[in-house]
Amino acid sequence: MQDLVNAVADMMEDEAMALTKKYVEQGVPALQIIDAYKDALSIIGKRFEECKYFVPELILAGEMMKAATEIIKPAMKGGQSNVEAPTLGRFLIGTVEGDIHDIGKDMVHMLMDINGFEVRDLGVDVPAQRFWDEYKEFQPDIIGMSGLLTLAFESMKQVADGLKAMGVRDKVKVIIGGGQMDEHACKYIGADAFATDAVAGVNICKKWVS
Amino acid sequence: MIIIGEKINGTRKQVAQAIRNRDADFIRQLAQRQFESGASYLDINAGTLPQREPEDMVWLVENVQEAVPEAVLSLDSANKVTLQAGIEKAAKTPMLNSLSGEKFRIEGVLPLACEFGTELVVLALDDNGIPKTSEGRVDIVRRLVEMTRKGGLPDEKLFVDPLVMAISTGTENGNITLETCRKLLGEFPRVHLTCGLSNISFGMPLRPILNQAFMVLAIHAGMDSAIVNPEERKLRGIMMAAETLVGKDRHCMNFNRAFRAGKIGPRMDS
Repeated sequence: MQDLVNAVADMMEDEAMALTKKYVEQGVPALQIIDAYKDALSIIGKRFEECKYFVPELILAGEMMKAATEIIKPAMKGGQSNVEAPTLGRFLIGTVEGDIHDIGKDMVHMLMDINGFEVRDLGVDVPAQRFWDEYKEFQPDIIGMSGLLTLAFESMKQVADGLKAMGVRDKVKVIIGGGQMDEHACKYIGADAFATDAVAGVNICKKWVS
Repeated sequence: MIIIGEKINGTRKQVAQAIRNRDADFIRQLAQRQFESGASYLDINAGTLPQREPEDMVWLVENVQEAVPEAVLSLDSANKVTLQAGIEKAAKTPMLNSLSGEKFRIEGVLPLACEFGTELVVLALDDNGIPKTSEGRVDIVRRLVEMTRKGGLPDEKLFVDPLVMAISTGTENGNITLETCRKLLGEFPRVHLTCGLSNISFGMPLRPILNQAFMVLAIHAGMDSAIVNPEERKLRGIMMAAETLVGKDRHCMNFNRAFRAGKIGPRMDS
């Protein structure tokens, strides 16, 4: 299915949809088609790192993936409503309290989802209490916190401190993301890692679960 | 166009370091360079944590106003303690950056602006976030202008920001901003319009080209101020050209003067 991989990687929306439909009709297993999309995503991620692709390409990749899932779902045997794929892990993400920047967060959400994580996205301006409550309920393997403003650092530290107080800090990995993240911030907040762009952050998470 | 120089911002690594190390020379030079490049207002953002932000703001105000006494300082903070400290240190009445529909800003920033009669940046967002429509943004501004008028602040002191969102995440984001500008001026003809112009090109290649194009479109829609890097020479040239072309430059004097002074166009020394 190299033609499908290339169509997706080259941002050729119409061709990608046509090929996806064709392969579904031919009875190609859903997981194989999803794998083709994952391969394409890998290429797209690389091109983003090389500064050939930018935010619009990542957004379009996400839309193609969503559209593909809609095409693949009805064709699944037994009428299963979920495309079943083993999840790499559970990922909880949100932009912290006081901050509403969401572009990076949405990129990470989309990339983690496509890469096989089960993602729960709390949105923006998320209070620490909500992170803690959702941690208890969702039991993520990784928590991602996004923020661009300086006051976001305090909110992130609050979340991390709360996880310590709950006695669960060592059971979950914490990654912080944002344009001005650095070692200082990471130490201050008490995170396990930081990332200044979506692809780098996703790569760190993939390493953690491999 | 009223240029607000954006570079003295503690979220930038070099500036953060200068603030930490109390490197007065660095800050003064940054202030001077921006002013000489045409920024009549200088935004000052300490970018530090609330515990130390007030003292950092005071130190910045002190050094910037000594270096450039003619500039107006734009105090960039959400923290009323920081703003008050900055206002008291400032030799000239500063601008406050900013008021929005968020509860803590209405409670913290608005009273200070009214009490001291400052100029005030007004953001078209509230606790629900940034409206996706121009109508939504105008609604928020309408509510806020009612409050500033009640507080005795004349419309002329307001610098309303219709909010610039990245074109990379929404095909209509440019249009929404431009539409908001036109609607705002229709309803509040005496306010200034300002914006964080370079947001438009976030996540895109060739950011300077997109910024320049948006500057022209914004000026056509009535934008008369912007928070930018005043040292971007090409942007300055395009900005002055656009202003001249929409009739804001009698006999093209500003443009030609800037040309003769070597402030726009290809560098003479290169």
